[in-house]
Amino acid sequence: MVEQPTISAQELPTEVKSINRYEGPWSRTQAAHLLRRTTYGNSIDQIMTASSMSMDEVIDLLLADKELPPEPINYYYEEDPSVPVGASWVDKMYVRDDNMILQSRRRSLGGWTLGNLLNTGIHIREKLTLFWSNHFVTQASVLNDPNFIYYNNNLLRSMSLGNFRDMVKAVTINPAMLRYLNGNQNSVLSPNENFARELLELFTIGKGALAGPGDYTTFTEQDVTEASKILTGWRDQGYYYGDGNPAGSVYRSFRHDKTTKQLSHRFNNAIIENQEGFEYAALIDIILEQEEVSKYICRKLYRWFVYYEIDDEIESSIIEPLAQILRDNDYEVKPVLRTLLSSDHFYNICSVGPMIKNPIDFIVTVFTQFEIQFPENILDAYQIWSRLASLFEGFGMNYYEPPNVAGWKAYYQEPLFYRTWITAATLPLRQAYTNVIVSGQAEFMDRRITMDPLYLISKFENPENPNSLISELASYIFPIPITDTQKDFLKEVLIPGLPDFEWTVEYNLYLNDPQNEEIRRSVDAKLRTLLATMLTMPEYYLS
Amino acid sequence: MNRRKFIRNTSSFLSVPLMLRGLPIAAAGSQLFYNAIEEGNDKVLVLVQLNGGNDGLNTIIPLDKYDLLANARSNLIIPENDIIKANDLTGFHPSLSDLKSLYDDARMTVLHDVGYPNQNRSHFRSTDIWTSGSPADEVWTTGWLGRYLEDCHPSYPEDFPNSSFPDPFALSIGSIVSETCQGTITNFSLALTDPSSIVPLNNDAVDEVPDTPYGRELEFLRTTIDQANAYGEIISDAAEKGSNDSIYPNTALAEQLKAIALLVSGGLGTKIYIANLGGFDTHANQVEGNDTRQGSHAQLMQTLSEAIFAFQEDLKSQGLEERVITMTFSEFGRRIRSNGSLGTDHGTAAPMVFFGSCINGGFIGDSPLIPNNPGVSDGVPMQFDFRSVYGSILIDWFGIETQIVNNILQDEFTYLPIVNACGQTTPTDDPELTEVLKVHNYPNPFDNWTTISLETQGGNMRISLYDALGHELEVITSRTMTAGSHEIKYEGSHLVPGNYFCRVITEKASRTFGMIKV
Repeated sequence: MVEQPTISAQELPTEVKSINRYEGPWSRTQAAHLLRRTTYGNSIDQIMTASSMSMDEVIDLLLADKELPPEPINYYYEEDPSVPVGASWVDKMYVRDDNMILQSRRRSLGGWTLGNLLNTGIHIREKLTLFWSNHFVTQASVLNDPNFIYYNNNLLRSMSLGNFRDMVKAVTINPAMLRYLNGNQNSVLSPNENFARELLELFTIGKGALAGPGDYTTFTEQDVTEASKILTGWRDQGYYYGDGNPAGSVYRSFRHDKTTKQLSHRFNNAIIENQEGFEYAALIDIILEQEEVSKYICRKLYRWFVYYEIDDEIESSIIEPLAQILRDNDYEVKPVLRTLLSSDHFYNICSVGPMIKNPIDFIVTVFTQFEIQFPENILDAYQIWSRLASLFEGFGMNYYEPPNVAGWKAYYQEPLFYRTWITAATLPLRQAYTNVIVSGQAEFMDRRITMDPLYLISKFENPENPNSLISELASYIFPIPITDTQKDFLKEVLIPGLPDFEWTVEYNLYLNDPQNEEIRRSVDAKLRTLLATMLTMPEYYLS
Repeated sequence: MNRRKFIRNTSSFLSVPLMLRGLPIAAAGSQLFYNAIEEGNDKVLVLVQLNGGNDGLNTIIPLDKYDLLANARSNLIIPENDIIKANDLTGFHPSLSDLKSLYDDARMTVLHDVGYPNQNRSHFRSTDIWTSGSPADEVWTTGWLGRYLEDCHPSYPEDFPNSSFPDPFALSIGSIVSETCQGTITNFSLALTDPSSIVPLNNDAVDEVPDTPYGRELEFLRTTIDQANAYGEIISDAAEKGSNDSIYPNTALAEQLKAIALLVSGGLGTKIYIANLGGFDTHANQVEGNDTRQGSHAQLMQTLSEAIFAFQEDLKSQGLEERVITMTFSEFGRRIRSNGSLGTDHGTAAPMVFFGSCINGGFIGDSPLIPNNPGVSDGVPMQFDFRSVYGSILIDWFGIETQIVNNILQDEFTYLPIVNACGQTTPTDDPELTEVLKVHNYPNPFDNWTTISLETQGGNMRISLYDALGHELEVITSRTMTAGSHEIKYEGSHLVPGNYFCRVITEKASRTFGMIKV
């Protein structure tokens, strides 16, 4: 058996709060933890691969350069005049009022998204892309145009492991954001401060305590007003392809406020002279001079990858040193991630397991974890993926529809944080979902989407022994080992009222005659019952 | 199951020092409230949260300020003839015709200009303030109803439900629980999407969990599952027994309210329900350029109006309306001036609206104060503090002692006559508080000094000066006054010339008036 750390209620583990390099053992436990937190794939094979490498090698893989995924395609709609089935619809003409085309592109976007998540492999990019989508929030219901939504998502993906400064600048004038926060309506004659406020409050420096009238410690109402003037002049292009342009943005000098702007004492009363279309970048550089920006971003990364609770000690021993690294590297994100993911704190027992999987993580990893196969034909695969993507909403986490510009509550709302995901309304969905997948009742387009438990356990060290079978299965799907009482309970589920050797006998019968459908089915059914029970245990909701 | 008690030492997202308000409420006080529940208070409060910040000035329109508004928000003002007139002072958005009929039946009360001092214009912070009931400069992580429930049931969820309290205390219709019901650790609301399809959940709560972050989250999961299972059956039973008796429109809000009516009708003893309607953050295209009666805000008004009308009619026809008060709230109002994008930006105070047959139908408070030349950032000055609403509802509707309410809200509040004897048939259009507070200010405009003269019934009084953004700049006086006439001189030579307003609050009344410094 693989060794796993055990915690009993009696002995309390010591919590390590430092970003010193982790020098402890590198086994399946640590590898699985790292993959659970950074990828959408933690299959038995992937965990084995990662545990056979060194920690640094796995982190290299996670942070490696990677080509962007292929563009989303029209997977079924034959009436699209400008996009044949099988071809990309990105920046392709369509009529805004044509609901059928719009629907086909929306569905395709959902399918494409799910395909990206499923095919993440050992790489951090998809989890990071969602992190940035939750940071630089836009909402599909406001954007409406699938081309804009795609453009925005891929922008975040392409920059996800890059430089935060570049990213803020790109997002500020990206057409989706210009539209979402009304930057495209912000002009010298009618300033609209929606984007300026969120740029400060949510995207860069965050809002501090009220220090005086209109003064939020990190910025003031004056900064919102002045920043909105600085940001005037930008328009989006290519919305619904209505103007014949691809998605993009353009600066219009006549819409720009050319007066001299002055920020508050929170930014050392910085004066910004008219710089036309470069002025926004100057503003962002001034904001990013403030150390608070680096801390604000590191806190968000911490809450996304480690845990929601940030006490004074985490602030001083984890957040501040990480923020220093971010600043020392001129806002490059990779060095911060590398330090965090190879830190003592990250692998400390107190960091393993307390993250409630968000709905996207939960829905997607059931497939990757159990190596559920999708059709090789890309059109067929899209059919299923787009159906699956439509499940996100009911679970409370539509990929392109955070509830508002602050993102999902699980990452900011005290005191619940991750617990927001779990309610009497969402729990039954999780249970029904895994039951359907495990039992093999999930049918999409006449295809059964299910796992093959016999294939899975064939990789185990000792699958004919029910005790090691259950322990090993638990070690792959739960972050912390379950107790002996729970193992006994699960054995009762597998072989109710029978002695252990009966499992061995039955399983060996199957091994000796794998073509015998009757035997295979009965063993398979036992395993499915076991898995269905395990996947509805609350331990499975934790990462 | 053992419920360990621990206080989470969480620093907030922005490193604001956390002020966790412990609530040292005397045991005798708690007992009083406990009794109120036991004596069979069957009242229900339905909160309808309007997410995004509703534009109060285009919802409940002050007709006496129409010209000023037409000037300040010319691109989105509703044509005067299309406004549904309630009385000489006030009208409704044209899409609120259903609500107008509730108003005519005295089943609707509008409280003008509700907000709080030092209005925060962040959605999230302001929503936190409204749901927690905190002052603007303090971070509380418990909800106003959560504190009230936690005070009575400190051991919840351990041993709940039980024979004395078989029903969930609060239900949030949707997939997330309501922050209004957040206790120190546990949220007292149960989230529910469809009361008619509840299935039992697997739980494996067999062993103690370790005292680690993992153990704590695991225990939370197990407890939530237990709660869902324990209350699931009770809710299903109520859904089965209950019925709906009106036609609801096909909107998400209507579905939520319909589910609430079903459960109330089915005899569920839940006292608090929360419904949500989003989309009020109308920075752009709040109205259509060629027709200000149309647009996203008009659609929201229609959705709100039709859903609430169907809900109140349902309750009325089943004889349940006297048990239910429905109340809307939003994190802030929007600015007096519109922006150039046919929208409005984050503002200050806004009306709160109440529905039911046991309320004082009509309007409470003065028509909103609109300065002659509002600045681009000016919001509507507040007249009433939202905590006064919470306090008055807790006292009058749920029968809680004033002392306990003061503890829950951690402040004195002005009592507001929202709840009334049931079955009133005509709206009270004369905005009348329990105390007739007469205030006069001269000279106004002023340069160095001005005098506030007032006539009061006596008691605690606070007079504060606000700027046009809703910041409380200074407390002019705060003291106990004798009944009768008083004159207070104010020296304002240090003020920058511009629009200010002054708010006078007593225990039973409040008045807000504009002051111009020249």
